[in-house]
Amino acid sequence: MAAVRAMFSASFGGVSQIGGMLRKLVPLTLVSLGWVVAFSVRRINVGLEGQILAGGTLATLVGLHVAGMPAVIQIAAVSFVGAIGGLAWAGVAAWLWARRNVNEIISTLLLNFVMIQIVSWLVNGPLEEPTHTLGQTGPISPSARWPMIEALRTRWDIVLVPIGVAVIYVLLTRTRLGFRMRATGSNNRFAAYSGLRTVRVSVLAMIISGGLAGLAGASLISSNPAGNMGENFSANFGFEGIAVALLARNHPIGCLPAAVLFAVLRQGGSLMEAQAGISSGLVLVTQGLVIGIVAASNFYVSRYRRRRIDATGQATRRTAAVPAREAIES
Amino acid sequence: MVANDNVSLCVQTGEVLAILGENGAGKSTLMKIVGGLTAADVGEIFVWGKPARIRRPKDARELGIGMVHQHFMLVPDMTVAENLALGQPGALTAPSAVGAARRRVNELADRYEFGISPNTLIEDLSVGERQRVEILKLLDADARILIFDEPTAVLAQREWEHLAGVLSSLAQAGRTIILITHKLHEVFEASTRCVVLRSGRLVGSVNTADTTPDAVVEMMIGRSVDLHREATHDQIGDVALELAHVWLRDDDGRQRLVDVSLKVHDGEILGIAGIEGNGQSQLIDVACGFRNPDEGTVTLAGRNITNLGPAKQVDPDLAVIPEDRHRDGVALPMSVSDNMLIKELHNPRLFRRGWRQAARIRERDNQLIEQFDIRIPHADVYMRQLSGGNQQKVVLARELSRQPRVVIAAQPTRGLDVGAMEFVYNALRTHRNRGGATLLVSSELDELILLADRIAVMVDGRIVGTFDANDASVEKIGRLMISGVGSDG
Repeated sequence: MAAVRAMFSASFGGVSQIGGMLRKLVPLTLVSLGWVVAFSVRRINVGLEGQILAGGTLATLVGLHVAGMPAVIQIAAVSFVGAIGGLAWAGVAAWLWARRNVNEIISTLLLNFVMIQIVSWLVNGPLEEPTHTLGQTGPISPSARWPMIEALRTRWDIVLVPIGVAVIYVLLTRTRLGFRMRATGSNNRFAAYSGLRTVRVSVLAMIISGGLAGLAGASLISSNPAGNMGENFSANFGFEGIAVALLARNHPIGCLPAAVLFAVLRQGGSLMEAQAGISSGLVLVTQGLVIGIVAASNFYVSRYRRRRIDATGQATRRTAAVPAREAIES
Repeated sequence: MVANDNVSLCVQTGEVLAILGENGAGKSTLMKIVGGLTAADVGEIFVWGKPARIRRPKDARELGIGMVHQHFMLVPDMTVAENLALGQPGALTAPSAVGAARRRVNELADRYEFGISPNTLIEDLSVGERQRVEILKLLDADARILIFDEPTAVLAQREWEHLAGVLSSLAQAGRTIILITHKLHEVFEASTRCVVLRSGRLVGSVNTADTTPDAVVEMMIGRSVDLHREATHDQIGDVALELAHVWLRDDDGRQRLVDVSLKVHDGEILGIAGIEGNGQSQLIDVACGFRNPDEGTVTLAGRNITNLGPAKQVDPDLAVIPEDRHRDGVALPMSVSDNMLIKELHNPRLFRRGWRQAARIRERDNQLIEQFDIRIPHADVYMRQLSGGNQQKVVLARELSRQPRVVIAAQPTRGLDVGAMEFVYNALRTHRNRGGATLLVSSELDELILLADRIAVMVDGRIVGTFDANDASVEKIGRLMISGVGSDG
């Protein structure tokens, strides 16, 4: 009980705790949306971590050099190039997949390691802050950072959370591009047979996915208290975001509550250790359990969804566990 | 909704009982209750006169009830004997289990003339032989009641004849056979009694010897069906689709199409007959532009469309009803509405500047559902929830609502029940009667004779003859279909 209390007070106990939680919410939500978009065409983007790094790097590069321009333009430029960075890094994997038939799981995963090394070199080399002691860059232009919401101790990039969720939801359900993506993901052959250019649609989905991760990277630089880029600033958000999307069952709206849960777990983990003497490893166990339970519940949800429509046009009574392929018989 | 409504059924020892009904009539649900895969809400089951509680497949097995599913439950890279041994308790610990199974296979296969050797790998067996192994498994477990769930969905005609023989000899040996089917000829060739289900209710039970196919069809769908040939339409117009000297070789080096030339005219249905695997699938792929031929041209409505690539699928003049519905014709995880929408992405009424026009799409959905008699509560249900007949109606709605000039239909009634079949026939006739051209590929000769105006016969990738359907007979075409097969095995 003490552990649970510690976890909640760490996330909701006070303004600064809420702020800390919200700061984690932004990258978790954006990254999970990125996964959802790529998965809508059934591509597996496990390179979100590297795409965060790529976006953050480009955002830092621009953020270091935009001082003097109006703040709005600075913020827009930093976010924009962040998205471009992630998009381009995902684009490498997308190109390899579309033109060279390279499995995107392998390429995105390996590109993570490439990007980790590039960032490490930059922060210890060309971009290292002037004193050359800390292995991090100097701070970006203060007005290139999203302004603080003092009451919540967080920055205005929190608006990216509801906006991102809404945009991706609308994209997938209300637009022609979203329809093409869902059709491609549902049955690639059928989509191609129906005149869709499925490779092009898939590439588009993959780079949008990377763009969302890149935007998360820019936001991480901005919300970092020092306003600079350090090694490993992606802090595993690129992988936790995947877990968030799985918990949300790949539905964009579900990403919001799922991301809140993971932000609480992450924020609470450290305080739980300090206050209740419980290893923060327990947080990892909890995350694992949550994912396991969700995966198991898929079985029941799909059973419900597989109800047949009989000749009279009514859904038939739910039947007990029947192997999936039997439910699809003609 | 109720899948089975107060069904009472009594099966005698030693009879072959056929359970007949349209897709979704409740046949499979009823048998799943007996097999322990589904529990009945109300009702009792008596086996050998004693009340039985069947809650899981194991209970059914212990009562001597066995089921042969449409999808076989066999390990492909193990032998027949090993597969049998797997079904026995303690098989994995007793080294002699396989040897014992081998002897039992020999004995059973001899007794029922199965012609199966215990040492053959399952993957080396034909589909019909695998089905016999499934039967062996049940006999080995001493099942007294054998349930077959649409056993011919995967069988060729010759294999069905063999199976029918097996069924009757099993029945004579005192076992009870229940045959779930929606094919009429099977009922009359194999069963001794037949019961008909409609919308979950038992509507009739007759001795097969005392009834006629027409009477059974009427019971099945509640009215009589007109599946008879219409007089040929004589308003033949211009050439709408033409294939000229088309050649195609598969990646495996096999020559699939050999100098195929054919013309389909407006107001005409051209049927392609042939034993499956003689190039019909490739012909369809080329004709609708999914594959480029090695040589030759395809002309649609006067335009050469030979090498346009897949984007010409949304050609307003062309509609395709694909052979493999689940693979090419629908997206099972999407809604009915989405499935009917996929060819309308450039329709400015339904998508304006890339945005879905929800109200108009809804209006169109409702219109199509009514016009094509798709039996669903609303258009947002998932495609996979639909029966095969309803799915095919969705395909027809999507393709025919575009008022195409040419329809290419491949095996359009495969897996459908009589009612849905009649619907497909009428839809194709309507298309012809308003002056459309149709290329109809079917492995059912009766279907071609019923619908087509001309019938071309394909053997080994060649068109070996063309008949006017008015003076074609099943015998004549059948003989031609078989005559060229020998060279190909």
